[in-house]
Amino acid sequence: MQLNMLAWRSLSRNRRRTLITGFSIAFGIFLAVTFTGSGDYSYTSMIDTGAAMGQGHVSVAAVGYNARPALSRWLPDPGPAMEIARGQAAGVYPRIMGQGMFAAGARNVGAVFLAVDPAREHAGHNYFVRSIVEGELFAEGDGRGAVIGAGMAEKLNLRPGKKVILTVTDRDGQLTSELFRVSGIFRTGDRAADSGFVLLPLDRVRRTLGYGTGGVTFVAVYLDDQRRVNEVAAELALRLTSRQDVEVLTWRETQPDLSGLIAVDRLFNYLLQLLVGMIIAAGILNTMLMSVLERRRELGIMMALGMTPGQVVRLVLIESFWLGCLGVVMGIVLTAPWFHYMSQTGIDLSRLIGQEYSAAGVLVDPVMKLRLYRESGAAILAAVFTLTLAAAVYPAIRAGRIMPVDAIKEK
Amino acid sequence: MIVRLAGVSRVYMQGNIEVRAVDNLDLTIREGEFSALCGPSGSGKTTILNLIGALDAPTSGTVFLEGRDLSALGRGELSRLRRDRIGFVFQAYNLVPVLTAYENAEFVLALQNVPPPERRKRVMAVLEEVGMADYIDRRPDELSGGQQQRVAIARAVVSEPAIVLADEPTANVDTEAADTILDLMERLNRNKGVTFLFSTHDQRVMRRAGRLVRLRDGRLEADEAVP
Repeated sequence: MQLNMLAWRSLSRNRRRTLITGFSIAFGIFLAVTFTGSGDYSYTSMIDTGAAMGQGHVSVAAVGYNARPALSRWLPDPGPAMEIARGQAAGVYPRIMGQGMFAAGARNVGAVFLAVDPAREHAGHNYFVRSIVEGELFAEGDGRGAVIGAGMAEKLNLRPGKKVILTVTDRDGQLTSELFRVSGIFRTGDRAADSGFVLLPLDRVRRTLGYGTGGVTFVAVYLDDQRRVNEVAAELALRLTSRQDVEVLTWRETQPDLSGLIAVDRLFNYLLQLLVGMIIAAGILNTMLMSVLERRRELGIMMALGMTPGQVVRLVLIESFWLGCLGVVMGIVLTAPWFHYMSQTGIDLSRLIGQEYSAAGVLVDPVMKLRLYRESGAAILAAVFTLTLAAAVYPAIRAGRIMPVDAIKEK
Repeated sequence: MIVRLAGVSRVYMQGNIEVRAVDNLDLTIREGEFSALCGPSGSGKTTILNLIGALDAPTSGTVFLEGRDLSALGRGELSRLRRDRIGFVFQAYNLVPVLTAYENAEFVLALQNVPPPERRKRVMAVLEEVGMADYIDRRPDELSGGQQQRVAIARAVVSEPAIVLADEPTANVDTEAADTILDLMERLNRNKGVTFLFSTHDQRVMRRAGRLVRLRDGRLEADEAVP
């Protein structure tokens, strides 16, 4: 018997019931895409922003530097590590990150400095460079330029062209000072970053700290796709096994606050989706059960005429399969325009959360957007499909247990 | 012999009250018969048809169909037996509402996996026979009671079963339609040798039967051949 044909007849000739069930599946897809898409977008955005604040997606650092970031822990020769990393990454940057006192006139503030090579630096991989609002990034690696945050500029009454003095302990723990001249001012929107972060030229800082010509505290590695972090970190670690002085870290280790925040948020997101999935499944179960109960007589007639209980179970499951297909198509039609709008334009939430909303030290984009990774999309469709089939199992079993002699008596 | 009931009883519980719908009945139906089960309401006609049709099981006794003890078969085997060896015509027609007249008539052949070209030939031939060839695309709710019953008869005979069980086949149709249905059943019995066992309490229908099995309170009251 072509159960497929029979299932189609039943679905196409009970259009209202079919469309209602299809719509509830489609609505499930819509919600799942919205939740997952917002997670995929915001987590990726936060991870990329966090990486662009200095340490990259993967970091090859001097052993112990990450646990206790002192300038005495440094890598004299990061060249081989950079060479290996280049084959895996979209950007590899030698960097020094440390803390010092910045003074101008009688005023001074403590701040984190990030020493970068201006010849290599790419704005896409440096959040501060792309946030410069006045002046520009210093051009020379061994020059005396400095790019400071707008908050610090205000505190120290600085503007491009003005001098600022860095006092820092060098690699041997000796206090040392260096004069810099402000070349640019950045404004990220994050108060802590704007008042406590400075970009400095790498070669000049090397000389100041006594790092020689190639020393760094870490090599920042940037990836096109943050999901490759573990794979790239593992490959680097494998190829650097002989180097006892380095450790390979992912952003999860260099930014544990951000990692924890995302893990908790992701867990809540999953729970929310599970809840929504259960509600949708309950809706489908209810519709399928109603459909079976309404058709007790019809199914009873079919069984009286010779359809086996197994065939009846399969019939209901096939109906549910086609309902799943229909629901997926309806879901794509319903969700596509919404997804297109949300991935291109999004909803500006800055009125609700403000322009300067940061979490775990990372600025959060106030525009809610959607981004869906291929595997997330596939997982949604597979989950919705599985839910639809799973929700039909009980009604199908009920249908298979119908006693035709009783069912055909029903009005 | 196609059907044999040996000491069959069927007892229902209605609350705490025991209802003996069929009481220690012995009955045989032979190939090619055109027999009627008759008796007043509650005499056990429908229950006997359900027992022979493997839709119900006796409380005691044995039902044999073509020599097979139905109590020895599982649900799946009983389904296949109904599909291959029994045709049903119900009082309330019981066509599948989502299928057209053609699809309803085709249903059992489709269950039997008869190839589509042969299926079409046989379905169209039987719909022609019952005078419903012009209504193949109509769904049950677009047909009159008489037309629905003719489609039901087509569905019952198309697979050439060992026996067609018809439960009050003319009860829900007008006199003219009832005559048409009886003519049709008689013709199929006479020309194609289809064995019919039908229930009725209508005197006009009884007069058309070749054998009358009279029942009262679930027991055999009389079993007489009609000349």
